[in-house]
Amino acid sequence: MAGLAATFGSGAMTNSIGEMEDAEVFFVIGSNTTEQHPLIASRMIRAVREKNAKLIVADPRDTKIAKLATIHMSHTIGSDVALLNGLMHIIIKEGWEASEYIKTRTENFEKLKEVLERYTPERVSEITGIDKAVLRSAAEIYAKSKKSMILYAMGITQHVAGTDNVKSCANLAMLTGHVGSPSTGVNPLRGQSNVQGACDMGALPNVYSGYQPVTDQRIKGLFEEAWGVNDLSDKAGLTLTDMMDAGQRGDIKAMYIMGENPAMSDPDSKHARKVLRNLDFLVVQDIFLTETAKLANVVLPASSFAEKMGTYTNTERRVQLSRQAIPVLDGTMPDWQIICKVSSKAGYPMSYDSPVDILDEINRVTPSYRGITFDRLNNSWGLQWPCPDEKHDGTPFLHKDKFARGLGFFDAREYAPPPEVPDEEFPFQLITGRVGFQFHTGTMTRKVSILEREEPKAFLEMNPKDARRLKLINGSKVAIESRRGELYMPVKITNDIPEKVVFSTFHYSDNNINDLTINAVDPVAKIPEFSCAVSIRRV
Amino acid sequence: MKRIRKDNVYPFLKEMEETRDVYCPQWLNDKDLLFLPLGDGKFDGYIGKTTVSAKSLLFPQTEEIISFGKEIVKKNTDSRNTLAFGIRPCEMKAIEFTDRFMTREGITDPHYQSKREGMISVVVACNEPPSDTCFCLDAGGKPYLDDGFDMQLFDAGDYYIAVSGSKEGDEMLSSGKFEQSDEEDGKRVEDIKKRSLESQVRKPGMKKAIETLKNGKATNEFWENLASRCINCGGCVYVCPTCTCFNVYDLQSSDGYSRYRSWDACLHAGFTMETSGHNPRPTQGSRLARRHEHKLKFDVINYGESGCMGCGRCSDACPVGLGAIEIIEELNNL
Repeated sequence: MAGLAATFGSGAMTNSIGEMEDAEVFFVIGSNTTEQHPLIASRMIRAVREKNAKLIVADPRDTKIAKLATIHMSHTIGSDVALLNGLMHIIIKEGWEASEYIKTRTENFEKLKEVLERYTPERVSEITGIDKAVLRSAAEIYAKSKKSMILYAMGITQHVAGTDNVKSCANLAMLTGHVGSPSTGVNPLRGQSNVQGACDMGALPNVYSGYQPVTDQRIKGLFEEAWGVNDLSDKAGLTLTDMMDAGQRGDIKAMYIMGENPAMSDPDSKHARKVLRNLDFLVVQDIFLTETAKLANVVLPASSFAEKMGTYTNTERRVQLSRQAIPVLDGTMPDWQIICKVSSKAGYPMSYDSPVDILDEINRVTPSYRGITFDRLNNSWGLQWPCPDEKHDGTPFLHKDKFARGLGFFDAREYAPPPEVPDEEFPFQLITGRVGFQFHTGTMTRKVSILEREEPKAFLEMNPKDARRLKLINGSKVAIESRRGELYMPVKITNDIPEKVVFSTFHYSDNNINDLTINAVDPVAKIPEFSCAVSIRRV
Repeated sequence: MKRIRKDNVYPFLKEMEETRDVYCPQWLNDKDLLFLPLGDGKFDGYIGKTTVSAKSLLFPQTEEIISFGKEIVKKNTDSRNTLAFGIRPCEMKAIEFTDRFMTREGITDPHYQSKREGMISVVVACNEPPSDTCFCLDAGGKPYLDDGFDMQLFDAGDYYIAVSGSKEGDEMLSSGKFEQSDEEDGKRVEDIKKRSLESQVRKPGMKKAIETLKNGKATNEFWENLASRCINCGGCVYVCPTCTCFNVYDLQSSDGYSRYRSWDACLHAGFTMETSGHNPRPTQGSRLARRHEHKLKFDVINYGESGCMGCGRCSDACPVGLGAIEIIEELNNL
């Protein structure tokens, strides 16, 4: 988000899912698309199998999408910037860059060129572990096609270098002119059904809805007027990871957490749980009694998606209406009603009759949502922002003739090794992710019998060579230890993961991998690293 | 033989609704046509190919089968009178096929049987294929039925020509909404049948594919290669008119416990996983093979006909282009 906002001026998927059908090249980095975005993956699969589109996948694991790839680069964990810079180096050396596009639509190219100079194929090959010839083919395929799409997910953002990784993707796309037209662009695949909508609505520390900065006096004035108050803060607040640190210091004494399960999902989650326990007051609003809710002083039972009406904004910026399917369950209330009641008790009366009222307000105060009205959503499959007025059809792809910020900004980044790399004591690199049948901390999916049948417990994926060295067979129980904790789980031996790397999921509260992970964060976006060094022994 | 004007269909169904629950194809939204209760009020006379087959009327997506607290109560086993209007010939054939399995001697499924016994059917023959994925002819069927219906309608433009196939069909025909047919109608039906046979062009070649499977020519590698694009969504199974696999689970509610069954899919690994963790169908390719061998090979061996009726719903639904049509075509490329 922060990375794309800095380079393009807008942090969201630049293009649309439907455009994938006509793409000639997909460059997928840090996304296990078939498991995590299966329907988006299905578009790629059809384009590859039926229209001969080329697929380049950069992922340490040989995921399903990697198996379908024309080129699969299993690069060293945390070497994304080096890999992307290396591809750009080759593109410039070979003269495959889009000179006219660079000249008319971007700035700071000379600086990028200067940085890239140092990313020779030899050096990049050494850092990433990818053969020079493979790097060259990938660069050529991506650069030479007219319609190349980059897709990425948490595999590149959840790093200390996350913002750098995203900026490097943006640099690569601008260098080759692959932004601002159909079936191109830089496309972050969001990890949750409405995380795009939550960001759009200003559930971030530094912006109001539609990414309007809280520090801007004019914007501040507009919201003061809309809400009938006169002292809104003009300082950015704290990010999630900052809040946990502030909680530890005692600077934050109370938290109100809605629909989030940091007791499990935060890296080094033992630390997170300790912070939550030490708060003077914790309120948790959720549909189930999550691990976080169990630590709360007050739990506010919310209604599920099926019991209420509202909108979701999906990964392609499409706002979609969701209708109430069943009555509100006894003892619960839709989130918006809870918030209204709490706010009213706290001295700021909120009175909305329905979510339609709230959407009306969103339309009034959010330029990019102005034309996304209830009536229009009620009669369509949704609208893609920006949609500035009620006559506007929505925007399938961004940055058409110029970038949201004007000129696209090449922000050259340097490779830096990840904060915790394997050493003698902790010789394996642990990476984490999800499986297709479970979602995040399992709050919802672990209550569904078929999903639980398919993926009932945590496991540790390991390469057969490592397994042989440790004298493990499929299903052997191992102890996994990091600098922050220890867990026990069975191994799953597979060639899909490289040597010295192990993989596990964060779905299972009885075996929570985030007890081991590291909470070093990206200095800009404050997204944590998650991957860390571990040792493994048979038990 | 009688006839019914198309603008009389809705009044006829309303009349039937007095004694039966009436289901007919209705648009849930602008993409999904489903069998829904007439009372939903969205019936516009259009009889297309529904997204999910009529099996949902007999074997719903989710169904409570037992409730248990102080006592155990079997649920959804009472006979219920329904009328399924607008079933296509392939679906009716699929229901007859499913009957054999669900109401076998000694292992009858009471939840299915109760609904089946109470259901009467009005089949609408296909003048031309409702969609370009229809291949019933190739699958050994026909776009109309010779028997096995209570009433069959033939679309003659402004009206349907109605033929009864049972006592219940005769009773329906006695409704005042039907008119006498003229002497040309018999010939019209024959014409419609003839044209319907000619109008179906989709012919993936099921017979040849069956032989290929019987001869063991489809290797593991063949299936794994196809399965490499399967995203394991189970959609093909859910829309299939002859797929009847289900999962059973218990849920707690405020007044006790209930046991439900829901559609399941043999494409999911856990479906064949044994308690030990061993899975006789360990890979996606082996599961894909299982599904298609079941329909195209073992059903043919056991029942003398394929379990695929050629309705093409799986090819409509599959997001990666891996329905029966595509599988058959791939088998024929071997």
